[in-house]
Amino acid sequence: MSELPRRAAAILWKDILSETRTRQGFTAMLSFAALVLFMFSFAIGVDNDLLARLAGGLLWVAIVFTGTLSLGRTFQNEELAGGTHLLRLYPGDVRAIYLGKLAGNLVVLAALEIVLFPAAAILYGVDFAAQAGPLLLVAALGTFGFSVIGTFFSALTVHLRARELLLPLLLFPALVPVVLGSVGATEAFLAGDPLGRAGGWLRLLASYDVILFVVCLWIFPVVLEE
Amino acid sequence: MSLAVAAEGVTRRFGRRWALRGVDLAVPRGAVVALLGANGTGKTTLLRLVSTLLRPTAGRLEVLGHTLPAGGDEIRARAAFMTAGGYAYEELTGVENLRFAARMSGTAAVDADLRDALAAVDLGGAADVPVRAWSTGMRRRLELARLGLRPLELVLLDEPFVSLDEDGVGLVHEAVRGWREAGAAVVIASHRVEDATRHADDVVRLAGGRVADVTP
Amino acid sequence: MNKLAMLGWIAIALIAVGTVLGLAVLPADALQGEVQRLLYVHVPVAWVMMLAFFVVFLMSILYLVQRRLKWDLLAVSAAELGVLAAVLTLILGTLWGRPTWGIWWAWDPRVTTTALLVPIYTGYLVVRSMTEDPDRRARWAAVIGLIAFVQVPIVYLSVFWWRSLHQPPSSPQSMWSAYGLVMLLGFVAYTLAFAYLWLRRYRLAATELELELSGPEEG
Repeated sequence: MSELPRRAAAILWKDILSETRTRQGFTAMLSFAALVLFMFSFAIGVDNDLLARLAGGLLWVAIVFTGTLSLGRTFQNEELAGGTHLLRLYPGDVRAIYLGKLAGNLVVLAALEIVLFPAAAILYGVDFAAQAGPLLLVAALGTFGFSVIGTFFSALTVHLRARELLLPLLLFPALVPVVLGSVGATEAFLAGDPLGRAGGWLRLLASYDVILFVVCLWIFPVVLEE
Repeated sequence: MSLAVAAEGVTRRFGRRWALRGVDLAVPRGAVVALLGANGTGKTTLLRLVSTLLRPTAGRLEVLGHTLPAGGDEIRARAAFMTAGGYAYEELTGVENLRFAARMSGTAAVDADLRDALAAVDLGGAADVPVRAWSTGMRRRLELARLGLRPLELVLLDEPFVSLDEDGVGLVHEAVRGWREAGAAVVIASHRVEDATRHADDVVRLAGGRVADVTP
Repeated sequence: MNKLAMLGWIAIALIAVGTVLGLAVLPADALQGEVQRLLYVHVPVAWVMMLAFFVVFLMSILYLVQRRLKWDLLAVSAAELGVLAAVLTLILGTLWGRPTWGIWWAWDPRVTTTALLVPIYTGYLVVRSMTEDPDRRARWAAVIGLIAFVQVPIVYLSVFWWRSLHQPPSSPQSMWSAYGLVMLLGFVAYTLAFAYLWLRRYRLAATELELELSGPEEG
């Protein structure tokens, strides 16, 4: 394995190992996500048709809210260990750190979605399974874009006071194309895509993912300077 | 090319605070330099600059033949920095911490090597215990083991003797001797004058962000 | 009178002329009535907003390449003006939209994207204000200034698509030539005003930094 992926994998594996030792973070996150889904029902009422129609949007908002809390913790274990900047002392390309942390966030968000999609299907009475293939693609593109931006801004805000507030402030506007694309494609697929709009949303998602990934990866070493 | 570190008028300010103002320093390869001075005189800042963590505000800083900020990668591949605050992942065991460091540094160490390294700093019994349960002195020893994983040409130690018992201090001295014999330069920043100067070829005293005096 | 002050006076004079022309000389719009006169300010201010954020982007890149604090100060000066222009644009836009569209907020892609620019660049300013070391402050700000500008066109595009699912966006107003000329005057006037305020703000920022760095020393 060449240098960059090998070191990214080292970071990913270390973080997974740490997380499985404690598991508190993930358990709390799942409970929070479930509560968000409930809150939407409470706010909207038990109008089953309405809930089913809004399911795609509600689901993605729940993912973004819960995911933001989790992404904010991306570099917390480094800070506890002695400081995120110490990762820079290892020889080699600093971008491995970004890639490793990005992969970790992908794993966490994927685990979250494995629980959230069925939960939303049950609570809001929608049949995600009928469109499993296309929805998997939407989830993959949406989650990747979310992680790309979230990991980057998480690194940027790790040293700031009030980072819990600043991260969403920077993150949410940047997530607009991801949310619109994911919700648009999800709703289009759930409705059987009668107008053929899902493809456009997927292309938007994919392009935004690629552009942001390239920019974030390119500029990340600047973020990590102490 | 006999100098590991050559600093000329190196200055670093953090906004209003001047941490270093025009420091000249020469650390020959294979030499041990003790960096002394009261709290807040710029010892740690100087080490952070040399380690490539910080950029100087002004001045010229040459490390292992590279003039910063160029050559950071080459420097990091051949230099190591033990910070005063320590560096260890609480949830990971001793071996897992070392394994992560080895993978990140690209060394070919296998688990047996890592266990040997831990045993060498008297941590053999704690190899599979999460660091969470360790004492501060044990964490210091883990740092020593980590530095020993790869060949180094420049070693920067920030307060290496703190929280260590007598045996632990002895381990640091032993490691410093080893590095010097291998031709590496070692810079030790410490308040413990006696320990810091034991192997020192030069003693550099900092005061108010400047070099107050250099005594061989 | 120095050159900068001259620039300021020219901008004020041009804005005054444009305002008189737009408010008193030109007849009211046949379709939209008096409220259309708001556009003589709204459109140039919206242009200034875009110009300001583009300047932030350029200055951010220059800072990241050269690492001179000067570029950071020029960037933050433009960012403050950009946020001000964005808020003004939104206020003027909603004032215009209520009588024209019948609603305060139309989820128009331009309006929505402008509204999103406010938190983005507020974030930029807040991150700066919370960081004490000028070098770190400049570096983080430059990163945000750069990435914000990359994301904004795509944000606009996505809102445009999202919006077009519900109703086609309003077509641009056709204007006869006198309107066009006054509008052009507005563009020149507000651009000069931006240049003046930007450079003034930069001088102030440079003085502030000097004071910050030369103040009573700590440590």
